[in-house]
Amino acid sequence: MATTAEASGPGRRPGPAAAAIALPILSVAALLGLWELAPRIGLVRPTSVPPFSDVIAEVVTVLGRPEFLDNLGSSAQRWAAGFALAILIGIPLGTLMGRWRPLYNLVDPLLVVGYPVPKAALILIFVLWWGAGNVSRIGIIIVGCLIPIVISSYHGAHGIEPRLLWSARGLGTGRLGSWFRVILPAALPQILSGLRLAIAISIFTLLGSELLIRGSGMGAFMFTALDNGQTLVVFAMSTIIAVIGFMLDFLYVRAVRRGLPWLEGEI
Amino acid sequence: MADPVTERSTTAARQPGADAPPGAPKIEVRGLRKVFASRRGEVTAIDGVDFSASAGEFVSIVGPSGCGKSTFLYIVGGFVDATDGTVVVDGSPITGPDPARGIVFQEFVLFPWKTVMGNVTYGLAEQGVPRSERRERARQLIETVKLTGFERHFPKELSGGMKQRVALARTLIMDPDILLMDEPFGAIDAQTRVILQAELIQIWERTKKTVLFVTHSVEEALYLSDKVYVLSGRPARVKEVIEVDLPRPRDPEQIVGTEAYGRLHRRIWGLLEQEHRAHGDDR
Repeated sequence: MATTAEASGPGRRPGPAAAAIALPILSVAALLGLWELAPRIGLVRPTSVPPFSDVIAEVVTVLGRPEFLDNLGSSAQRWAAGFALAILIGIPLGTLMGRWRPLYNLVDPLLVVGYPVPKAALILIFVLWWGAGNVSRIGIIIVGCLIPIVISSYHGAHGIEPRLLWSARGLGTGRLGSWFRVILPAALPQILSGLRLAIAISIFTLLGSELLIRGSGMGAFMFTALDNGQTLVVFAMSTIIAVIGFMLDFLYVRAVRRGLPWLEGEI
Repeated sequence: MADPVTERSTTAARQPGADAPPGAPKIEVRGLRKVFASRRGEVTAIDGVDFSASAGEFVSIVGPSGCGKSTFLYIVGGFVDATDGTVVVDGSPITGPDPARGIVFQEFVLFPWKTVMGNVTYGLAEQGVPRSERRERARQLIETVKLTGFERHFPKELSGGMKQRVALARTLIMDPDILLMDEPFGAIDAQTRVILQAELIQIWERTKKTVLFVTHSVEEALYLSDKVYVLSGRPARVKEVIEVDLPRPRDPEQIVGTEAYGRLHRRIWGLLEQEHRAHGDDR
């Protein structure tokens, strides 16, 4: 985005700006064109890669099927529960770590060890512990989201300018009041960046758990389609999930911008 | 409607010198020491500073950069604990931050999530003053610092000088007896600084608050103050206390040419230069 703004600055030819818009369109169009043509001219088997236009048509069909809506509903509930619990645990934990060193020293090693562990590897262990139900599915979403939320809350609370806290203390804010009226709002920009990361991770862990545990949900719906040889449905579902992920991120950024006009910089 | 700046607090404890015998200083600091623990051992920042300011006095504190003059102010504010010594305000030792000792920092530490109005009314909201009353009082103060029309702006939309006006109003709305100012105009361009200095003097003359003003500018100290404490380089000790007997009101351009100003300026510069040489400070 920055390069686009620079290129279209005063005294510049329109060329680079136009190219900055045209080139991304070109690459996306080339990909979709290849997707459409390759199965049609016999480069790949249509059962492996259905043409793009067929996938889009199938998306419309799938969206109208009642069992799709049921599965979407179960997925949405799990996602909301996992994401909400991760926020409820992660923000207090991270901000407390940022203001109280012993807690940081206690929790940080767990984050360092937990960070590179692929969360999918934990799904089956959770199933062993809690069975193939919602506890495991939601648990894996919480674990996945917790790390970015805790780390961003920690950094937000840890990096607060001491004189900002002093200003509030000097204006009569007590120690407890400082938590809600200074530390949390001051840490909010970083917390919101962490939540944006967590949204992406939550979709991934939700789908992973549903593909492995099956039962119900978008992932299970997709896997059943694969079992039944409905390649087109698998592609349509992948497309729908990709769009949902994109929309969630897009709407989240828009909502934050609109809701918090005082924010500076990117989230 | 009472002007929030001129209106004195009605609580007896807030009256200047209410708890202290008549003639006692508003602020009395004795044997102040501050030692910081660092990785290389202990560092003495302040070593035995005595200081006093009468009610309504404008006192500046100058010294080489990094000498601990800001730390001194933070201790008087109650934000930093002293290692040794006492800080007595109105006859009682301080126990922590207090809205009666308002502070304005060099960097603009406004609450970025609050508008100008939200920042200025913050302290009153903490005290539970009803919304309509605090907005009314804030409006008058926003007018005093010449920011009318910017009530709904956020700090990120303001210039450095405007941010510092907001910081001043946010502190003044608590009607503090004492105003602690930590190089408040240090990060502001020269023209704006002259305007803000003049406005500060107007507010001070009207309200007669006791002001402790940390600065590295000798010119600023002489233009504003009744008294200048010259501190030595680290660890800070009081090198000399200089009475600024220039008549008020002072015109910043005219006083510069007077003989009395020249004498005071040379005296303070001489003291600071000794310190720079003694500490090998190249600033």
